[in-house]
Amino acid sequence: MIIFVLNCGSSSVKYKLYDMRDESVMAEGKVERVGQDNAVITHQSTGKEEVSKTMPILEHTTAIRECLNLLTDPEHGSIKSVDEIDAVGHRVVHGGESFSDSVLINERTKEILESLSDLAPLHNPANLMGIRAAEKIMPKTPQVAVFDTAFHSTIPPHAFLYAIPYTVYQRHKVRRYGFHGTSHKYVSQRTAELMGKNIEDLKIITCHLGNGASIAAVQGGKSVDTSMGFTPLEGLMMGTRSGDIDPGAIFYIMKKEELNLHEIDSMLNKHSGLYGIAGVSDMRDIEKGIAEDDRLCRVAFDIFINRILKYVGAYTASMNGVDAIVFTAGIGENTPSVRDAVCRNLEYLGVKIDPELNNRRGEDLEISTPDSKVKVFVVGTDEEVVIARDTVALL
Amino acid sequence: MEIRRIAVLGAGRLGRGIAECAASKGYDVVLFSQGAGGQDALRRIEKSLDRKLAKWAITESEKRLILGRISYTLDLKELANVDLLIEATIDHFYTKKELLRTADHLCRPEVVFISTTSTLLVSELARSITRNDQLVGLHFIPPVPDVPVAELVVPESASPEAVEVAKNFAQRLDKKVLHIHESAGLVNPRALITLVNEAAYMIDEGVCDAAAAELIIKESWGMSQGPLEMADRLGLDLILSWMEQLQEKLGDRYAPCPLIRRYVRQKRLGVKTRLGFFAYTEDDAVVSLEEGEKEEFEE
Repeated sequence: MIIFVLNCGSSSVKYKLYDMRDESVMAEGKVERVGQDNAVITHQSTGKEEVSKTMPILEHTTAIRECLNLLTDPEHGSIKSVDEIDAVGHRVVHGGESFSDSVLINERTKEILESLSDLAPLHNPANLMGIRAAEKIMPKTPQVAVFDTAFHSTIPPHAFLYAIPYTVYQRHKVRRYGFHGTSHKYVSQRTAELMGKNIEDLKIITCHLGNGASIAAVQGGKSVDTSMGFTPLEGLMMGTRSGDIDPGAIFYIMKKEELNLHEIDSMLNKHSGLYGIAGVSDMRDIEKGIAEDDRLCRVAFDIFINRILKYVGAYTASMNGVDAIVFTAGIGENTPSVRDAVCRNLEYLGVKIDPELNNRRGEDLEISTPDSKVKVFVVGTDEEVVIARDTVALL
Repeated sequence: MEIRRIAVLGAGRLGRGIAECAASKGYDVVLFSQGAGGQDALRRIEKSLDRKLAKWAITESEKRLILGRISYTLDLKELANVDLLIEATIDHFYTKKELLRTADHLCRPEVVFISTTSTLLVSELARSITRNDQLVGLHFIPPVPDVPVAELVVPESASPEAVEVAKNFAQRLDKKVLHIHESAGLVNPRALITLVNEAAYMIDEGVCDAAAAELIIKESWGMSQGPLEMADRLGLDLILSWMEQLQEKLGDRYAPCPLIRRYVRQKRLGVKTRLGFFAYTEDDAVVSLEEGEKEEFEE
């Protein structure tokens, strides 16, 4: 069975083609700068040379058509015809309260997705454009939506409700939704696999640390709490996002700096986090700064770690224990210093990591010592394979 | 036709605002202006973006992207390459008419024209061009990037398709479009000059000083900017000319207060001369209202 996984942003399209017999990647690629005269397509079929071309691509239908042209290209492609694709799996950011699992897309689904655009104005409309474009090109191929929020739909009310007037939740559905669900789901399952245990019996804390970052408490395979909330702004310190901040401070800043809603929103989402403190948003630059004795890089790093520690502590408490802590995504997978700084402060839980294992890269592995009471893992996240699996499951 | 490249005729406050706003929504913008205005306009747009950057509203890379989408030229021949034309020149009938005629010859026939005029009648302008079914009035209100409404005027000659193009453009700029009947002064300028004129009378009569009038009006109705600062930013000469045009068309209740005439005669035109109702710094910021008062006495 061949599954085409699509992740459409407002000006980008990323894709992967899977052969689901062994979950192998047949091809992958991306289109950047959709909507411009100089859009760039990069494509690589497994075992073949990477191709890249620049051309005008003004909307998503053309972008997806170009991807499919490359996929079926005799020289660079990996399939003969688009008909070989059995289904398309779409990444959709927000499923609201309507979707607690992946779904087959039909007219009704699209209507609901449209109505959810308010909750994720930057992402959902782009995801929908991708769905419509794929349907246009492959009208007979089933399409599946896999939601970033769905895995967190098991979070109980005491963890998803904010302590504000209940009517606000009833009227506007303001609550914690959580994001990166596909990733938290994948890495928690993979960790159980690596531990050789049934996920039903495990309490796992998954740390998805990328440019956007979130932590989830996964008990018995289900998400019971997560650090991102109504929007991806809550929780950990991120590349350019503030994470948790006293709402009272926001009102004060708005008054003092005479900021409107757009300005404060942009400040917290694009000018804060590591960038806000240290002037650089990439953890590699932060590490470089620390090596050069840059005081603000040091502080930024320490805040980043402190936030993680607070959430790990909180989730250990809310699950009444923890069996494994997992690091994933850009920073989680590639920055030993972050894992080291976190784990050194978790001695009270009996966490011990092996420095040598911690410095290894590029494979899923346990980095804790055999006598560590809580196991620590590094797992490469793979959201696309979860989308492909969910798609197959719905056919 | 997909609209990607737009022409903005006129690099004054309105034209610059439209250019900045359109570029930040992804349009490629060509600013047409006479003389050395274009270079200066780009600098002012950059300044406006810097103010947004200082308020964290955009990032450094967004600023570069927006600026990169705006170019300026003196050469009207470049109009041959645009998909939409927005005319934002001074409200002078014959100048506008001539400019629209030239553009009519140079633009591709399917290109829709938008006029931002607030005191002239769009239908009269439409009569002077061959594509009269493709001219629609759309009044953006400065500061264009911040004001979320635009006034739409549909002359009888306009085709529904052209109106749709204008509406879509305004909506893509995040403006709520309100359709109003064609009438000199529209809603916003007419209401503004009434407020400004009344405030000027109060100052002239010694009821209060400019700072008090401004603060009371502004704070009472929760305005982000008071009418006198708005007038200073638009230019008191422009305000005076609006008043005179409306007086001619709608009657003596728009007759300008003598204080405004006096200010204009003294070249006290607002932000552009650093002094109007209030005083302004080189960066176009209001010197505190009290200091503005002091300068008034020193004069």
